[in-house]
Amino acid sequence: MGSGDEAADGAVVRAVLAGDVEQYAVLVRRYRDRYARYAARMLGSLDAAEDAIQDAFIRAYDHLAQCRDPDNFSAWFFRILRNRCLAERRRATRLGPALDVGEEPLTASGRADDEVEQTERLRALERALLELTPEQREVFVLKHVEGLSYEEIATRTGATVASLKMRMHRAYDRLRERLKEHQ
Amino acid sequence: MTRGYHPLVKQLLEGERSLADLPPELRAEGEEALRLLGAVDRAPATLSEALDQRVMAEVRRRAAAPGHRAWQWLTQPRDVQVRFRIRPWTIGALAAAAAVALLLARPAARSGPMATGARDSVWVKFVLYAPEAQQVAVAGTFNGWDPRAAPLVRTGTAGVWTTTLALPVGQHQYTFVVDGERWVADPAAPSVGDGFGRRNSVIAVSQQGARVL
Repeated sequence: MGSGDEAADGAVVRAVLAGDVEQYAVLVRRYRDRYARYAARMLGSLDAAEDAIQDAFIRAYDHLAQCRDPDNFSAWFFRILRNRCLAERRRATRLGPALDVGEEPLTASGRADDEVEQTERLRALERALLELTPEQREVFVLKHVEGLSYEEIATRTGATVASLKMRMHRAYDRLRERLKEHQ
Repeated sequence: MTRGYHPLVKQLLEGERSLADLPPELRAEGEEALRLLGAVDRAPATLSEALDQRVMAEVRRRAAAPGHRAWQWLTQPRDVQVRFRIRPWTIGALAAAAAVALLLARPAARSGPMATGARDSVWVKFVLYAPEAQQVAVAGTFNGWDPRAAPLVRTGTAGVWTTTLALPVGQHQYTFVVDGERWVADPAAPSVGDGFGRRNSVIAVSQQGARVL
């Protein structure tokens, strides 16, 4: 690890813009895993999450000069990744659910017998989550997977707390419907 | 068709109420809802180590492309410093030349708008209603998107923040920056996407005044 790993985001961004392209690896190392779980739960698979994060890093590099607040690179990068995930979900919704449904749960592996039910429940929930709208899915993931408050979600997404709560309540209802149907 | 969760059960899901607080007839529904949350997969997601290499390989390839360097150069904001060295006698000569030019160029007396060139900027008042804000600023193309360059001040009316800026004639994009971190588009003006998930408000400034687009 070079000394660049301790540098603030703003200093790293400015170094990259000044021509030190290798410094960009510091940002990649710093943020590649931070949003991996969000992307994986939004897109339904680790492979799709990895593609999305790779695309987001390259898009961020292409537009780095337009990052208004280099010291807050992580929030800017999250917005790029979020747009990519929402666009991907909308595309998948247009194409139909067949692309996603039936995948292994993200953390499924060899399980003990007494965990089979939990694994089935997890798989059913994953399938039901994929049938939410991208915005409903996002608020569910940010609140119940990432553990953020509505205020924190509002800061990240630009939506109001009231509209986020409404989305979440609709998501609860829809999840219940879908889980009943899948039973 | 299955009905949605009862509002009290939703409060349970939101962590605003415990299972014991639910009426007995809703306990089963509450337990079902908690099983849903219990099934949520919160395990960390680990990406492959090769991701960094793939990103950096593409970044290096792009950095080496002449088109990309030109794009970066064109879009990167930068400070421009202009320096003059002038001998004292030339000030008098320039002043005399300017006076002659004014005499020769002065048009015949006419009514209508102020002479061309007299107004290359227009005062524009920015107003935002933000009762809970501790500080508000406006950032835009006219100040290099600097969130500290143009703070608004709280007026006597509760929650109203204003500032008046001289903006160059032309079209500008801007947003308000609330408490130094939240970028908020002007609710009173149309906005356009900036390509990264935010909205920028748009204003057109002409010699006749300013109008939102």
